[in-house]
Amino acid sequence: MATYNKITPEIAAQLKAVVGERRFFEGEDIDPNYSHDEMPIYGKYLPDVAVDVETTEEVSEIMKICSANKIPVTCRGAGTGLVGGCVPLAGGVVLCTRRMDKILAYDMENLVVRIQPGVLLKDLAADALDHGLMYPPDPGEKTATVGGNISTNAGGMRAVKYGVTRDYVLALTVVLADGRIIELGKSVCKTSSGYSLLHLMVGSEGTLGIITEMTMKLIPKPICDVSCLVPFRDVESCIHSVPKIKLANLDPQSIEFMDADIVTSSAAFTGNPIFPENVNNEEVGASILVTFVGNDEDELDQKMIKLGEVAEEAGALDVLVVATSANKKEAWAARSSFLTAIEADTKLIDEMDVVVPVDKIPDFLIYIRQLGEENGIRIRNFGHAGDGNLHIYCCSNDLEEEEFKKKVKVIMDAAYTKCAELEGQVSGEHSIGHAKMVYLEESVGEDVFKLMGEIKKVFDPDYILNPGKVCDSSLVS
Amino acid sequence: MLKILVCVKQVPDVDLVTMDPETGNLVREGVPTLTNPLDLNALEAAVQVKERYGGEITLITMGPPMAESTLREGLAVGGDDAILITGRPFGGADTLSTSYPILMAANMKGKFDLIFCGKESLDGATGQMASQLAERFDASQISCCYSIEEITDGKIKATRTLETGKEIVEATLPCLITVEKDNFYGRLPSLKAYLASKTAEITTYTENDIDGLDMNKIGVPGSGTIVPKIYPPELPEPGQIISTGSAKTDVSKLVELLAEKGSI
Amino acid sequence: MQKSDYKNMWVYIEHDGETVAPVSLELCCEIRKLCDVTGEKLYAVIISDLPHEEVDKIRECGVDGIIYVNGTGYEYFNTDAYANVFTVLSRKYNPSAIFVGGTIFGRDFAPRFAVQLDTGCTSDAMELEYDPETGDIQFIEPAVGGKIMAVITVPVMRPQVGTIRPGTFKYAPVGAKENVEAICEEISFDPEAIRCKHIDFIPDDMDPELDIANADCIVCVGNGLKDSEHLERYRVLAKLLGGKIGCTRPLFDRGILPYKLQIGQSGVMVKTKLYISFGVSGAVNHTAGVDADVFVAVDKNPDAQIFNYCDYGIVGDMDEVCDELIDQLKARQA
Repeated sequence: MATYNKITPEIAAQLKAVVGERRFFEGEDIDPNYSHDEMPIYGKYLPDVAVDVETTEEVSEIMKICSANKIPVTCRGAGTGLVGGCVPLAGGVVLCTRRMDKILAYDMENLVVRIQPGVLLKDLAADALDHGLMYPPDPGEKTATVGGNISTNAGGMRAVKYGVTRDYVLALTVVLADGRIIELGKSVCKTSSGYSLLHLMVGSEGTLGIITEMTMKLIPKPICDVSCLVPFRDVESCIHSVPKIKLANLDPQSIEFMDADIVTSSAAFTGNPIFPENVNNEEVGASILVTFVGNDEDELDQKMIKLGEVAEEAGALDVLVVATSANKKEAWAARSSFLTAIEADTKLIDEMDVVVPVDKIPDFLIYIRQLGEENGIRIRNFGHAGDGNLHIYCCSNDLEEEEFKKKVKVIMDAAYTKCAELEGQVSGEHSIGHAKMVYLEESVGEDVFKLMGEIKKVFDPDYILNPGKVCDSSLVS
Repeated sequence: MLKILVCVKQVPDVDLVTMDPETGNLVREGVPTLTNPLDLNALEAAVQVKERYGGEITLITMGPPMAESTLREGLAVGGDDAILITGRPFGGADTLSTSYPILMAANMKGKFDLIFCGKESLDGATGQMASQLAERFDASQISCCYSIEEITDGKIKATRTLETGKEIVEATLPCLITVEKDNFYGRLPSLKAYLASKTAEITTYTENDIDGLDMNKIGVPGSGTIVPKIYPPELPEPGQIISTGSAKTDVSKLVELLAEKGSI
Repeated sequence: MQKSDYKNMWVYIEHDGETVAPVSLELCCEIRKLCDVTGEKLYAVIISDLPHEEVDKIRECGVDGIIYVNGTGYEYFNTDAYANVFTVLSRKYNPSAIFVGGTIFGRDFAPRFAVQLDTGCTSDAMELEYDPETGDIQFIEPAVGGKIMAVITVPVMRPQVGTIRPGTFKYAPVGAKENVEAICEEISFDPEAIRCKHIDFIPDDMDPELDIANADCIVCVGNGLKDSEHLERYRVLAKLLGGKIGCTRPLFDRGILPYKLQIGQSGVMVKTKLYISFGVSGAVNHTAGVDADVFVAVDKNPDAQIFNYCDYGIVGDMDEVCDELIDQLKARQA
């Protein structure tokens, strides 16, 4: 078990000297939000000091001071995570990248952009579009930082067609635990040059180094797009249509799944029932939202016609078209509101972000609902049907927190076991943090988990980077 | 069978319109257009009536040829027929000289029992068209309709939203109705209807095609109002800007100032 | 027709049989000023009975005359009978202009009698000016989402008809004239001929949070708001300041807040002691609706137009500033 030192006034003064008075916070001046992410249920932990960094050099100086004094450092972006990843379990320093929010340079010849880690996803997405380009990863939380997206290897809706954040990271500037600055990767699309430390860094949640600059791959902006909402009577028929759609060679950009409960919550929340609860006088049990991109309207029409045929065969109630800019805006707003809508009418909430093979989605959903009913916990879910990634929320308004946690643990334990049984993964895109560490260990097995620990030790021998996360179980009592 | 007319308008996305500071003209070029949002609520109300009582919905708009796309959008979600009134002489019309050709063009398709239109448009935003159309069509009028209770024997019973409550009214047909969003959110088109709308036939009327059209009552000559001048809004001198880079310092400065003023 | 044949300006007095709608008094005060410029007389038009003390309020606004209309068909507001009154009266007396409060009723019938009289009608003007060269009133208002100011005139036809939103003009009575002319008109409309009949009225449950026109303090949230999730803190701030929350059009369009909270030319005009905007860009159609003793603006864009309207502005993240303000206000109150 690692031991850490307290931040003495001398050390504090050194840290303050690096960033200056205005970007250094201590005690009561620290933003209380720094004690948690969007899942406060996993506990709140305040740091002793918070610094807002602006340059790679500052990060390097901070790390030098902290490694010399064995002070833990937890890197934080926008704090929109869902597994307690940016929470300073061992106190120490929170190093916040929110001020490193510059889009540095586009290389329009090679379609890459160099940015700082604190750039918000929505800002990168919008700015790329202004340049006629698209940043393909599209995680639901648009106010996350891209640095955070890399640290968790965030996925999002368009993963079906374009892949996940990892596939768009070409190069990183990383500050190591001892303050050394290294460059990983180059702005080229191929590499076969030794172990990929670049990809080790992606998804490492600030436990191996601090990302201070990155080069991301972009693609030309699609010329036009259209979405189809395909409603079904029930979850089973809905999910069973997904492989058929994928096999029909339609190359959808995303296939999103929503059941009747989430549609109702979202309509109540946004006040706009864009996703219908009844179609052709039949109650909708679940729907998928399929998005296509293409070069012209004809191409999209052809894809939709084909989708119509597949959907009809799969028992869809209808196929509805989201084509006008107003409808797209509304559909997007509704889809984006799912998590918020759940949070809005829920006092206690916990979540899981499993991935199962697409054909196993109904099995898993039926199982988890049953678990919910047995334990008196309301289950809400939505997810990326195209890649089997499900967001499942355990909610309660009546239970005391302790009672809730107990019941949820029963559900989680059983659900992760079921997930393993179905050959699934613990996390699709929210990653591990400290909340899901035990489940990671169970899922990958002792050997792999230990190997991860060995790697951590190589990068961070004193365990000062984001202690207690991913595979560092030293803080678990 | 009820004959229903729905008036729609294609509008520029006003949030994206800019003013050329040199010429003082509005820059509409390249600004995306959309169907006036409140018109879609009106159309939804019409479609609900059609579903309940049977009927035929005719969409009508006046505008440049590109306004056709707004009609197609309406055909995709329940319109049966569409009329586009287009031609230079109609240009520059205010509500007085827009309501008139709409009446005359609609008359070419017979008499309508119900006329639906949006409460106001995103661009003009006068909110006058509905009342003036009602007068042109010699129809009763239910504005700000919240829900439609019943249509029987040439009468419509409905609830409308007033400033302080809901008024229940009964009106004779023909009746012109504007609606509140609450119960009339637009629906998504089904794929079949969407594809069919792309090739559907649209009746296009120019000034020469409308029987009995009085040329003095359309376009600029027929307008009651003109806009002799537009200018950019005069901006007052900026106030005292507090921007120290730290929200905390900014806010404490503000709180100090507000306390001095006695505002808090 | 000759424009010069049309003289004097009218204001329609909206009332419920007990009290006069404030907008009608505001209009009397404003049109008094306009008539002083044009040298015309100002008449108030009252349909059906109104208590004396309410009529006195109208006199106090400096009207030259009052036209009292009585007859059948006015028990409840209805477009047919009310529009007819103005068509009949206007044909008889040839006023140069008729002003109607831009309430739901006013907006219902004014454009309608304008068609009957085949004349021009404007709505929501924020300023009224007189052009002595043409003899026309200039109705000045923000247009195209507040991007421009437009001057609208009725150059040929008469009367010039305008509906004006409540709260646009100030109620500042100049005092009653010594002689106020009284004209009584009997105009009946067959109640059977009213095509849209009143059946019932169900008052809304009074939600005081939705009544913001005269709130002491207003926290106004604009399109900068990320989503509904981020709204709560502004409610907290409003409560802390003893005020209410309001919004701009995009938030109503986005379905985040109800229409009754939309501040501006096409929503509610507000008069308040302290107004704090968050994430509001400052288009004139919004700012035109704000009359504040102290105006504070918070927006991340240092070039936002809103800073031209404020007394104090903070350039920064709206949520962050709001949270900070809550903290510091709480600390002060503690």
